[in-house]
Amino acid sequence: MEELLQQLTNGLAVGGIYALVALGYTMVYGVLRLINFAHGELFTLGAYLGFTFLTSFAFAGRVGPIAGLGLLALLVMGLVAVTGALLERAAYRPLRDAPRLSAVVSALGASIFLQNALMLVYGARFQVYPDEALPNRAVRLFGAQVPVMRALVVAASAALMAALWLFVHRTRFGTAIRAAAIDRDAARLAGIDVDRVVLAVFLIGPALGGAAGLMVGLTYGQVGFTMGWGYGMKAFTAAILGGIGNVPGAMLGGLLLGVVEALGSAYLSTAWKDAFAFIVLIAVLLVRPTGLLGERIAEKA
Amino acid sequence: MRRLPILLLAILLLAALLAAPARAAEPIRVGLLAPLTGSWASEGEEMRRVTELVAAGLNARGGLLGRRVEVVVQDDGGDPRTASLAAQRLASAHVAAVVGTYGSSVTEATQGILDEAGIVQVANGSTAVRLTAKGLRLFFRTCPRDDEQGRVAVAVLAGTSAKRVAILHDSTSFAKGLADVAKAGLAGAGLTLAAFEALTPGDRDTTAVLTKLKAAKPDVVFFTGYYPEAGLLLRQKREMGWGVPFLGGDATNNPDLVKVAGKAAAEGFLCLSPPLPQDLDGPEAKAFLSEYRARYGAPPLSIWGVLAGDGLRVLARAIEAAKSTDGPKVAEALRSSVKEFPGLTGKISFDGKGDRVGEVHRVYRVDASGAFVLRK
Repeated sequence: MEELLQQLTNGLAVGGIYALVALGYTMVYGVLRLINFAHGELFTLGAYLGFTFLTSFAFAGRVGPIAGLGLLALLVMGLVAVTGALLERAAYRPLRDAPRLSAVVSALGASIFLQNALMLVYGARFQVYPDEALPNRAVRLFGAQVPVMRALVVAASAALMAALWLFVHRTRFGTAIRAAAIDRDAARLAGIDVDRVVLAVFLIGPALGGAAGLMVGLTYGQVGFTMGWGYGMKAFTAAILGGIGNVPGAMLGGLLLGVVEALGSAYLSTAWKDAFAFIVLIAVLLVRPTGLLGERIAEKA
Repeated sequence: MRRLPILLLAILLLAALLAAPARAAEPIRVGLLAPLTGSWASEGEEMRRVTELVAAGLNARGGLLGRRVEVVVQDDGGDPRTASLAAQRLASAHVAAVVGTYGSSVTEATQGILDEAGIVQVANGSTAVRLTAKGLRLFFRTCPRDDEQGRVAVAVLAGTSAKRVAILHDSTSFAKGLADVAKAGLAGAGLTLAAFEALTPGDRDTTAVLTKLKAAKPDVVFFTGYYPEAGLLLRQKREMGWGVPFLGGDATNNPDLVKVAGKAAAEGFLCLSPPLPQDLDGPEAKAFLSEYRARYGAPPLSIWGVLAGDGLRVLARAIEAAKSTDGPKVAEALRSSVKEFPGLTGKISFDGKGDRVGEVHRVYRVDASGAFVLRK
């Protein structure tokens, strides 16, 4: 029982990260029908920016651990969001009306470009977050051992997801985003500035991805320029699992994927961990081809 | 004007005379396959530095067979696919021999390509047993084999008070091979196997496998994988509040492990390793260490880089003995002429399969300052 609880918390912590990254994929897909393959690299950028700030300005030492982490998160999210917007401007907007394949190729190119740029700036060796900057304690929660950093990560990803849900479902601009996702041309006819919606999507998605990268850095310490590929792959799977284009679906898909991996490795075999993730994906797609919550695409088609 | 043809002839002769030494001075090119990028980049960087230093030393003494030695570095990315391309590039560049590489699964991807091209390969870090069990006549290695290391691991574990041993690998050729050898030896040493698990390399979260291991209640965990994952394991083990001791295989002996884990989590970690550079004795090693420090400003940190240097040194000896850079002749010389060769890492001889004979692992322990200290 204790082991089950521990594995569930392990899975939720990993799943929270998948979910945050998945949101970036799913929001962009929802509005533009484009898989932003460079999203994994934006995630990596977040992890590296966090490393840069922590090592060059000694944040946590000056402003107290929690406030320092908050400030750090805001800075990282802001910078990654701006990068995301620039990426949209440079790599996707010129191809908005081109055949969809061109945009996909452009996305792959952007991914390779960003990955190599990160390697050239930070070097090919992995970097390690400064140890002393992080709270390094564990608390007992219902019999499971939960490190403070992990609890913070779960809480922060839950808070970010809740904020996003409120924004998309309870504000006028959120309604505009959803309208553009259902039908871009009709939304434009209704007076919605689609370019602003796309810009917003490319600010919010990368900001969340950057936050996830920062969280990975803070939790595991080790960041490398190829890390975006693995996490991006899993998050993309999570987005499809939940129903791509659907915001709550990405959250559900991410958490589910994390838990499936943890329980699969606990009760079956850890060597097969990645296989379980994709077996679940295939099983779900066989029964529900649009993903768990992905009804909207079915309506459209 | 009858002189003109003679003058022309003289010029031609002169040109031929000038060209001949130029051809003789064409360098002997030796390839180096090293993981310059990817998660083993710190190993690759040292392999490059050490090999270039050894080549510079050879050239300072007049080169080989009167020709300069030039190291052609190819990045294998620590990845079998990248490595096979890198090996093909070296083969089409017609290098005389190849040193490297580090990971066993990576080396495995290059063996066939180099063998077909008739190029001698001396691996420096690839310890998986089966690499030399294929009957490849041109393949050698300066590092000891996993089965030897597995025997040492079991002996070390049997020497502690531990009874229940958990073995964890990462599904790579090297780690799985070592794990299998250790597993087979446990029963004979009066130890029981508590768990046998694998993790996914490159995966940052190891809590799932750690939680599973913890439930099996081992007295000690033997991790056979590489240092990036070992660091993550130690760090997350500490976060879980689990105090079980860890023993690592010889791919965990890299100082970056302590960087990833943090000093507090790394303290007490035991690892098996051929002697680290700072513990090398013998006149060759001492001279080499001071040259290295003079050129790069810091001592070498990883033994695998030094073993790559030994790879180039034995190749140089063999090329001189064979008086040729022809692959099969060099391979024959490595078997027959390299006997008790004074290497940087001790005496080097090869057996018929290309394995280095007579090498002893040591046990290292990470102390409170994060340094790997030889346990006497």
